[in-house]
Amino acid sequence: MSLDNLILLTGRTISQGVALEGGKASRENVRAAGICTFDADDFKKLDCLVGTPVKVITDYGEVVVYSTITEEGPHQGIIFIPMGPWANQLVNPSSQGCGTPTYKGMKAKVEVVKSGKVIGAIELIGRLKEA
Amino acid sequence: MVEKIRTVKDVSCPFCGTLCDDLEIDVNIKTDLVVEVRNGCQIGTKKYFSSNPSDHRYMKPLIKVNGEHKEVSWDEAIDKAADILVNAQRPLLYGFSSTECEAQSKGVELAEILNALLDNTASVCHGPSILAIQDVGASLATLGEIKNRADTIIFWGSNPVHAHPRHLSRYSDFIRGYFRTDGRNDRNIIVVDPRNTHTAQIADKYIKVNPSEDYELIQAIRAILRGNELDVKEVSGVPIDDIKELVEELKSCNFGVVFFGMGLTQSLAHHRNVDTAIRLVAELNDYTKFLLIPMRGHYNVAGANQVFTWNTGYPYSIDFSRGFPRYNPGEFSSVELLLRDEVDAALIVASDPGSNFPAASVKNLFKHPLISIEPHKTPTSAFADVILPAAIAGIECEGTAYRMDGVPLRLRKVKDPPGETLSDKEILERLIEKVKEKMGE
Amino acid sequence: MADIKLKIKKKLDFPLEADSITPDNFAGKTVAEIKKLPLYYATKKVTIGDFFDVSGKSTEVANTKIIIDGDLSNVKRIGEKMTGGEIEINSAVGMHVGNHMSGGKIVVNGNADDWAGAMLQGGELEINGDAGHYVGSAYRGYWQGMKNGIIKVKGKVGVESMLWAKSSKPANKWPTLYCGSAESFLGIHNHGGTIVVEGDVDRCAGADQAWGNIVIKGKVSRLLPSYKKVGEVKEVQLPNGEVIKGKFIEYSGDHTIKKETNGRLYIAV
Repeated sequence: MSLDNLILLTGRTISQGVALEGGKASRENVRAAGICTFDADDFKKLDCLVGTPVKVITDYGEVVVYSTITEEGPHQGIIFIPMGPWANQLVNPSSQGCGTPTYKGMKAKVEVVKSGKVIGAIELIGRLKEA
Repeated sequence: MVEKIRTVKDVSCPFCGTLCDDLEIDVNIKTDLVVEVRNGCQIGTKKYFSSNPSDHRYMKPLIKVNGEHKEVSWDEAIDKAADILVNAQRPLLYGFSSTECEAQSKGVELAEILNALLDNTASVCHGPSILAIQDVGASLATLGEIKNRADTIIFWGSNPVHAHPRHLSRYSDFIRGYFRTDGRNDRNIIVVDPRNTHTAQIADKYIKVNPSEDYELIQAIRAILRGNELDVKEVSGVPIDDIKELVEELKSCNFGVVFFGMGLTQSLAHHRNVDTAIRLVAELNDYTKFLLIPMRGHYNVAGANQVFTWNTGYPYSIDFSRGFPRYNPGEFSSVELLLRDEVDAALIVASDPGSNFPAASVKNLFKHPLISIEPHKTPTSAFADVILPAAIAGIECEGTAYRMDGVPLRLRKVKDPPGETLSDKEILERLIEKVKEKMGE
Repeated sequence: MADIKLKIKKKLDFPLEADSITPDNFAGKTVAEIKKLPLYYATKKVTIGDFFDVSGKSTEVANTKIIIDGDLSNVKRIGEKMTGGEIEINSAVGMHVGNHMSGGKIVVNGNADDWAGAMLQGGELEINGDAGHYVGSAYRGYWQGMKNGIIKVKGKVGVESMLWAKSSKPANKWPTLYCGSAESFLGIHNHGGTIVVEGDVDRCAGADQAWGNIVIKGKVSRLLPSYKKVGEVKEVQLPNGEVIKGKFIEYSGDHTIKKETNGRLYIAV
């Protein structure tokens, strides 16, 4: 199943903050920042279990992250990915001349992926080196 | 046998811009390990514990040889790093937000010697706030004023429950103040956000604004404040009657404050969102007392802006290429420079652009020699050509840090730097000396 | 007109700062002298002769024309502070073209990068392509930007074009921008500038306008709520004397600045 016409926001969560201090290479970090948080009603349309890996796609890239349901809703039409390496595959690098990228507000769509693996931070960023 | 413990009190926490100064750290005297943290939030506490040696803490300098990091001596590592910097045509020095002010000052010195580009993390964070302040000024205050006086607190595009966990209990919400003796009950908390965040859930009023449409909402508020009747029924998803009600609430309060964050600076319009928020606060002073404070993310990014400004005249995104400092965010911002592939070597200090920069810019960062001054394994240091292991400021070395409201606080040393780690300041001093030698000074 | 021809002869890995390329700097100089003028490449000071083939003949400023060929997309600051003469650029051009210009004419036969015509004090800048952000804008920290002169962009201008523009009725100075279309925040903090757009504009046009005239012949993606409809007009009379014919809805704004304002924004019916 897939969802279209979403808006992606990114930002801090306390778990992501704890995980980044605890070790960016850790599985804890993947569970804290390699996730996408959905509005409860939106998530029903995806027709999958909580925790299923989903592929999030914007004009700037795509990444597979674990799906969860928000505690900060309702926010129909909005998905939230904590700041970090997974979110940064998707954000708009353009700053419209001011220097600060547009980390929030990208149009996004989401697909449930059959065999999606959420990879760790070091491996994910490491792919940028080989490319 | 009871282990002997050394307790350090009144410790300033080196995580976020709230810079809590009331932490207590217990260190085992024999092992020099942090064993307990009191008063810190989850994140600050974790930072202290993660300073203990582990498999992701660097103890010795490392140089990448045949794709693997090899342990080397400090002399060898400094020599290699200096070589990279001296041979680069357009090096970038970036980061500086998670270290103390003297180290930041050394960073400026090194950039000047190299005619390099110099930038700090404000570039991807509150840089737009600084741009707005340069255009329209700002009515600021210290957190103590808010604690003691504020009866109306607006969090706009900011979620302190998650990003500044003790802010509400120390300064802006639950705490009793001199004129707010009933604490939470004496305060009116308003949150403006596209999501009903955990901060919104404990507020008195939550205004749901459409993502990326904050500017229009603030313009509507300001125009109504001027006495205009508007032609529209709703702005940015907020009904016009709710906006009018908000205007009356703000006009009639005793002492108001706007705390704002990435919701304004990282959305479309960036510094113009902050520009109009600043103008709104200024215009509210026709009716009552109103101020604003940016919710700075890192514990000493404000210090980096201060130190860079004292030394160069500019707070971030600085270019020394023509022999004197020039300032132009956009043109000299790290992300934009990397996207245009205009940098051929980078020195990253006390920050993690590998994790926090958009992927396309990290791709270009990795194309060129990379030096990382960093205590831990991160998506930046893991791919560096030279790793210079740093002692953690605020834990293993002293220094000064600037809180989000511009108040300087002293960082304490609670234990010694482990392994062969050196302070950021000392590492930069050694680099400066080596670079000068190679440049023939 | 005496022509000086420049052709770039090196591929650029870094930006080249070419503020010495102006009719003022070339006037009265021989080709050999022009070749010695400084340019800045990465962190090195170089010369025009290092990067350009130079030929031709110069005369006094007002009659000197510089024609530049080759790929100039990463050459910054051409025409900085010029007071007369002409520059013709047959390529896309880098940032800051014509900044602080007070006289003369620059024609860019290609796209221009950010800050084209920044702080313009007079003269004419013509871009036969798209322009980047901050066209005709003030530099960081300046509260007055373009004060006079004309900028014509055939295609699109980026965000915040004409930021802090300032006109002067007593001095008869009417800074003016003509463009094909515009991204967001066109004319932000306008203090008397004139803007005419042939096509569409993005959100927040006329943001915080104190006074001035913005005429939009296409569509606006979202009009600021702080603008109010005044009525309908059959033509727009601009303070520089020009008259734009056509049916427009007249809006006053920005009412964030003043309860009653002379600022105007016109959107075609």
